[in-house]
Amino acid sequence: MLVLRRRAGESLLIGDDIEIEMLELTPQGAKIGIRAPRETIVLRKELKITREQNTHAARGPESGDLGKALPGIFSQQLKNLPSNR
Amino acid sequence: MPLVQTKYFGTMSYEDESVFDFPCGLPAFDEEKRFVFIEIAEHTPLVFLQSLSRPSLCFLALPALVVDPDYCLAVSVEDRAALELALEREPRPEDGMLALALVSLHDGLSATANLMAPIVVNVRARCAVQAIRMDRRYSHQHPVPGLGIAPVCEGAC
Repeated sequence: MLVLRRRAGESLLIGDDIEIEMLELTPQGAKIGIRAPRETIVLRKELKITREQNTHAARGPESGDLGKALPGIFSQQLKNLPSNR
Repeated sequence: MPLVQTKYFGTMSYEDESVFDFPCGLPAFDEEKRFVFIEIAEHTPLVFLQSLSRPSLCFLALPALVVDPDYCLAVSVEDRAALELALEREPRPEDGMLALALVSLHDGLSATANLMAPIVVNVRARCAVQAIRMDRRYSHQHPVPGLGIAPVCEGAC
């Protein structure tokens, strides 16, 4: 990974047409401005991870397999856990 | 009573109180804006999030506090607004909040829960968002306690 130190107001360039500018740096985080072609997708990484994770979670057990899939994994072990409800 | 075609439990009737609005949908499922929360005694504490518009879409979820008894909520200002909550502070338990972690199964052998992006539910307003945390405090694949490898023995145990 390339690591650079930049101050507020400074920029860096990726390729010919992507510019990333440091707008503001605070203890809570950095505010970043991105100039990129319209077709370039800019995404928070957590959102991409969440999409992938949701897609995986949505697969779940097959509709007829719930009774088969869950007892081994869930029902027995979880019964003893504290519940918040 | 209205009926819903479910992925796992056939056709079920449901109370309006069991329906939760997801004004923003969920990432990768942006069009799914209404879910029925189904709790089945034999599968407690699992909660099934059944889409009202897509019978084949049903998430398995666990209360975040079941997965991690010390779980602390962190909800961004944008998500607080979507949840119709006070913007100036983090939601508190007395606000009637519930956090559910979506569960992923891995080859039927183990399960993980997404504590990085819990489904945060405003029980009173009956709305929910998947609130992606800004910090790195929790994993998107938190092992579900007690769920290592499922028992492979048959009959003997």
